[in-house]
Amino acid sequence: MKRKLPLAICFFMGISMMVQFFIPHPTSLNFGSMIYKWIIVLMAFALVLAIGNLIRHHGFKIQKGKEDWPYSIVTLTSMVAMAIIGLAWGIDPDSLYQSIYLNIMAPLGGTMFALLAYYMASAAYRAFRARSLEATLLLISAFVVMIGFMPFGQYIHPKFPAFAEWIMKVPNMASQRGILLGVAFGSIATALKIILGIERSWLGGKE
Amino acid sequence: MKWYDRITMIDRRVIYLLLTAFVIIPFFIKVTIPQKIMPQTRRLFDFVESIPPNDKVVMISFDYSPQTQPECHPMAKALLKHCFARSIPVVGLSFEPEAPGLAVDALVSVVQEIDSLAAKKEDSLVYGIDYVYLGWKSGRIAAQLDMGEAISGVFPRDYFGNLIDSLPLMQTTKNYKNVAIVIILASADYPIDWIRYPQTRYGIKVGAGLTAVMAPQYYPFVQTGQVSGLMSGMKGAAEYEKLVLDHGYARTLGSAETGMNSQSMIHILIIIFIILGNVGYFFSRRQKGTQK
Repeated sequence: MKRKLPLAICFFMGISMMVQFFIPHPTSLNFGSMIYKWIIVLMAFALVLAIGNLIRHHGFKIQKGKEDWPYSIVTLTSMVAMAIIGLAWGIDPDSLYQSIYLNIMAPLGGTMFALLAYYMASAAYRAFRARSLEATLLLISAFVVMIGFMPFGQYIHPKFPAFAEWIMKVPNMASQRGILLGVAFGSIATALKIILGIERSWLGGKE
Repeated sequence: MKWYDRITMIDRRVIYLLLTAFVIIPFFIKVTIPQKIMPQTRRLFDFVESIPPNDKVVMISFDYSPQTQPECHPMAKALLKHCFARSIPVVGLSFEPEAPGLAVDALVSVVQEIDSLAAKKEDSLVYGIDYVYLGWKSGRIAAQLDMGEAISGVFPRDYFGNLIDSLPLMQTTKNYKNVAIVIILASADYPIDWIRYPQTRYGIKVGAGLTAVMAPQYYPFVQTGQVSGLMSGMKGAAEYEKLVLDHGYARTLGSAETGMNSQSMIHILIIIFIILGNVGYFFSRRQKGTQK
């Protein structure tokens, strides 16, 4: 029963949601709307679970004095402080919450991402070598796309932007379409396996 | 050590220093290089241009985080300027948890800019009439599908806690029938859900503004017409800013123009370094071949 009931619910919900997607009858639409609201609530609960997990993980690190435990204090303090500030003084455009977000969170996030440029430049210089035919083709197309998409690419050669556009629209699009189709077929197969009870790993535990 | 070995072993600190210099220089030396507008950016602009004023709304899904702010924030501002200048109401929302702060910032800064230029009080923008920000919601696919029936069912209150039904704009914007296009500004694979579900079911038009890394994935959808237009990375943002400026909807260019110059400078530097590395590699391999 412990396994059969979830499988039966999964089968019923999977089939009914699949069918209702294609039937625009009010009964079908109302049923779909109700389920969507349940999903939104369930996903919100996942967030609560995530917060609980974060507190547990970092609380454990602080308690045991594990490596880099002071950072865990920063994480938990920041989380609690932002929640209190948001709840107590609101989230209006001129609020303290928004001010902290724009002046601390946003620059920090931007800085972390900007560091990638340094690593990428260094890595490209060291690793991007024309060692084989494939690597040479990759190198040439990367050059053309980079130069073609730069504003003054057209001044280096008037055909550069058009060639870069061609690379994006023909070889890139063909490969993207192949990937998309592969992913779509894989998703359909996985969804069917779950709905029909063939794939049961989501139940957890042993078979 | 031979010259070709030396150019393959440039210290990474030198690379970092040069990179920093190349990023900073365009902020002090303003150069405006004419942009060649990509067709997909023009398509998005033309689509917004074709929407009748004070009719259907443009829904903007702000789904980018601070990490990709330099690419997506100028897109948001240029798009908002375009919509407001043409009296097209805007409904904003987010499915990325980090996005609301940036969405509010984009809306507030553009509204303040337009209001400061308004000749009369009637020309200034009013929250609830000209624009609304719904805030963040979990379970994005379910929310996107449910909004096709009733937006108020998914967002009973806006980001600031106002009841949706109390806002004049939302009294006339019930579901996707009142939405001309939804434009997703994202740093992750968010637009695909809009294409797969609400577009398939409700036929809503989808546009996108994506980071340069994400954009190539959406070229097939632009070709099929499933995506009505696409801004690709900082270049797309700079192009949209230029289109908005050229059509008289803004008085100055936004931050993407300067960002684009920095980005171009870095690209040149990276290209130079890659060429140096490959010249050194080529000569050292040839030398080794001769020795054998």
